[in-house]
Amino acid sequence: MHRGRSSAHWKQRAEVRQVTMTAQEARLCGLLLREHFGEVVERVGTHLLRSGAQNLRTVANESGTPLDLVKKSLCVLMKHGACSFRAGRKGPGSPVEYRASCERILLILRYPRYIYTAKTLYGDTGELVVEELLQRGHMTMSSIVKTVADRLTHNMEEGRRVEYSEVVSTFSKLVETHFLQRCPPVSEAVPAASTAPMIPGSGPASSGPAASAPPTAESFPDCYTVPHVSLVGWGKRRRSGEDAAEEQGVSKKAKTDEQTHGDEGVYWQVNFERFHLHFRDQTIISAVASKLDQTSSEIVRTMLRMSEVTTPPSASCTQALSANEIFRSLPANYSISRPILDQYLTLLVDDPMEFVGKSGDSGGGMYVVNLHRALTNLARATLESVVQERFGSRSARIFRLLLRKHHLEQKQVEDFAMIPAKEAKDMLYTLLSENLVHLQEIPKTPDHAPSRTFYLYTVNQLATARMLLQHCYKTVANLIDRRLFETKESKRLLEKSQRIEAIMASLQASGAEPEQLTEVEEMITAPEKQQLESLRHHINKLDSAENQVDETVFLLKAYVNSTAKATQ
Amino acid sequence: MADVKVKKESDPADVAAIETRSKIKELCQQFPHGITDQVIQNDMPHLEAQQRAMVLNKLLSLGHLDLLKNSSGLLYRMKDAQSASKMKGSDNQEKLVYQIIEDAGNKGIWTRDIRFKCNLPLTEVNKILKNLESKKLIKAVKSVAASKKKVYMLYNVQPDRSVTGGAWYSDQDFESEFVEVLNQQCFKFLQSKAEVARDSKQSPMIQRNSSFATSHEVWKYICELGISKVDLSMEDIETILSTLIYDGKVEMTIIAAKEGTVGSVDGQMKLYRGVNPVIQPTGLVKTPCGLCPVFDECHEGGEISPSRCIYMTEWLNF
Ligand code: SF4
Repeated sequence: MHRGRSSAHWKQRAEVRQVTMTAQEARLCGLLLREHFGEVVERVGTHLLRSGAQNLRTVANESGTPLDLVKKSLCVLMKHGACSFRAGRKGPGSPVEYRASCERILLILRYPRYIYTAKTLYGDTGELVVEELLQRGHMTMSSIVKTVADRLTHNMEEGRRVEYSEVVSTFSKLVETHFLQRCPPVSEAVPAASTAPMIPGSGPASSGPAASAPPTAESFPDCYTVPHVSLVGWGKRRRSGEDAAEEQGVSKKAKTDEQTHGDEGVYWQVNFERFHLHFRDQTIISAVASKLDQTSSEIVRTMLRMSEVTTPPSASCTQALSANEIFRSLPANYSISRPILDQYLTLLVDDPMEFVGKSGDSGGGMYVVNLHRALTNLARATLESVVQERFGSRSARIFRLLLRKHHLEQKQVEDFAMIPAKEAKDMLYTLLSENLVHLQEIPKTPDHAPSRTFYLYTVNQLATARMLLQHCYKTVANLIDRRLFETKESKRLLEKSQRIEAIMASLQASGAEPEQLTEVEEMITAPEKQQLESLRHHINKLDSAENQVDETVFLLKAYVNSTAKATQ
Repeated sequence: MADVKVKKESDPADVAAIETRSKIKELCQQFPHGITDQVIQNDMPHLEAQQRAMVLNKLLSLGHLDLLKNSSGLLYRMKDAQSASKMKGSDNQEKLVYQIIEDAGNKGIWTRDIRFKCNLPLTEVNKILKNLESKKLIKAVKSVAASKKKVYMLYNVQPDRSVTGGAWYSDQDFESEFVEVLNQQCFKFLQSKAEVARDSKQSPMIQRNSSFATSHEVWKYICELGISKVDLSMEDIETILSTLIYDGKVEMTIIAAKEGTVGSVDGQMKLYRGVNPVIQPTGLVKTPCGLCPVFDECHEGGEISPSRCIYMTEWLNF
């Protein structure tokens, strides 16, 4: 019998994890900060993450960074909502303290998904609006509109251009659907003497007790109000000189523009919560499509869309909808009759995944989407899939068996799973040593004698999900590490190819002879080309793997959060 | 139940009971149309009523006698005269051992217990057993309960599950492959049923309902496939179907059924259907780290590290 880890021990570990940031999270945050903001911000950011709330001078001393660099770093972090400040704990007059948010930094990982989603919903314009905002943290509406219009125009054929009004309309739609929101206004209550960098939209320090949380964006009435701006004009094409600078990643300061548009001081940010709700809904919809069929998923999509506004983000199920209402709201091209809709709804309610529940009989039957239960069941399927892929289908059989029957003795596991004793024992041992299953000892007598003790195997879904979440963080960090390593290995070659591309571009612009171009092109040898090719392949693969792991992160995290809310 | 209690020592009463039994059987053979209780009483006047009843019950439960009813009351009649003829030419000791083995039914009995019951020396018992085996009157069966333990039972008796371990054992070994083959076949059956239902383009409810198969249907399909050497019961198939539920490939619903419906047990019927997976393998396991056996030992700058990882290299070059 293996008595390695009792569940009590396990629980304890899981709880410790919950309150403090784990080593895996810290490592990943560091890598993300370095990639997006450079090494100084990484140093200051990771220091703050580890130390908890600290004032400016302490951060500078302890992280060994000059004060002005610390200030700049904090500015950057605050602009992106990754850092907040509040009045010192030592009473009035004590220095303002800063705190970094691990949760927020980890969202950097999801940037490609936010951008991609904006593109699917609102086209290229939506994509660029969200991309600009993510890159800069916060901006005024007028500067977003101008920047995006410029970028769109630049990518168009000569002679075509994008009107500001087009971008304004997309921007307004994004606000209307709550994907963008105003940054909460900065409170004036911060001690004026403080040397704190004050960034609008970074969450105000409250004048109240230091412990109070900063107000959320949504607690301000104008959160989703688009200001009236006087913006007439169209995007401008950049000249090629600016272009090169932009391409090389030299982030230019937004041109200071003498014109005023009437929205000065009103800054906007991406509403991550809203995107997450959208991701959650998409996850549920595609699970329904996979388990049942397209029509069922379309019905669930309709239900989710209808209750978007009426259901609070943390609700465990959507507002109840009558079959009549659902029928009226189905997309016009879905021509199913009313009785058939009823059949679909009944089948959805019958399905053991419990995506949809019936809450009453009025209006032809009242239905809800079981958000919390759907997440719980999808997280369970995720855990099962991990065991299946890693340890094979028969270990997965044992794992599912334990998830369904909760407490089983080894003999029962063998009998239910129909796996020979020796194999079952090996599999259980492996799962046990990987912390995927746990062993509970139930002594029949007070002396805890092993011969008079029940040994019951069990799976704790929540604890396992938390553990796998940590595995995901470590995995993403490994992928990033590998990506950095691959790039470093080919650094010289990459630089060479970039140089040559630049020469080619300028030659082309000056109308050089074709022979001249091929000559330059051939400066890269065939084996070098091949190496570049395989490097590109590797980077792409690592990139898309990072995004895929983030999907696992999203689902597990959504489940953990939803469970926390459900048990509150 | 007197037999059970006296298993350990050879009780003269036990031997007496066995003798009484063969006497009654002889009597029945003399009167192939059946005998009444009175006939037995007349033939064996010294036999107490209680003991007589016990012996008769035993014979009935072993299936040696039939109980009939006619105008004159209850009649006992020999069920099958075959074994008696087989025993021709056997001496009394052989008959006694045969009787003991017969009593053991489909659970069998091991040599030591036979010896205690018949009170013969071990060498003698072994000789008789060999003899009976060669005449194909009895057989030795290995028990899964304890290895190397052989039990004897009549030649044409199907051994009990507790002896063979059921359909899943052959010669004490759990037939893991057999189980997996059945698991796959059952799934195939349910899957094709679900496919046919989907392709029928009927209303969703009809589609779902026609994707269901009762355990009886699955059982019939497997029997007709003829992949099993042993006879499988419907329960055996339900055990296999349960493994498919734990594989996440099949779902089960229990419905109420009219008494007497084919495949229903206690007014209930189990319905099974093959289902689609709800998600594709999750992102984590699409990376080498998600499947890595040295995940915990891997650190940047360590002996095992992402930069030097061969799993990564292999995966990247794939
Ligand atoms: S980088 Fe390689 S060694 Fe490290 S966890 Fe991933 S697969 Fe395993």
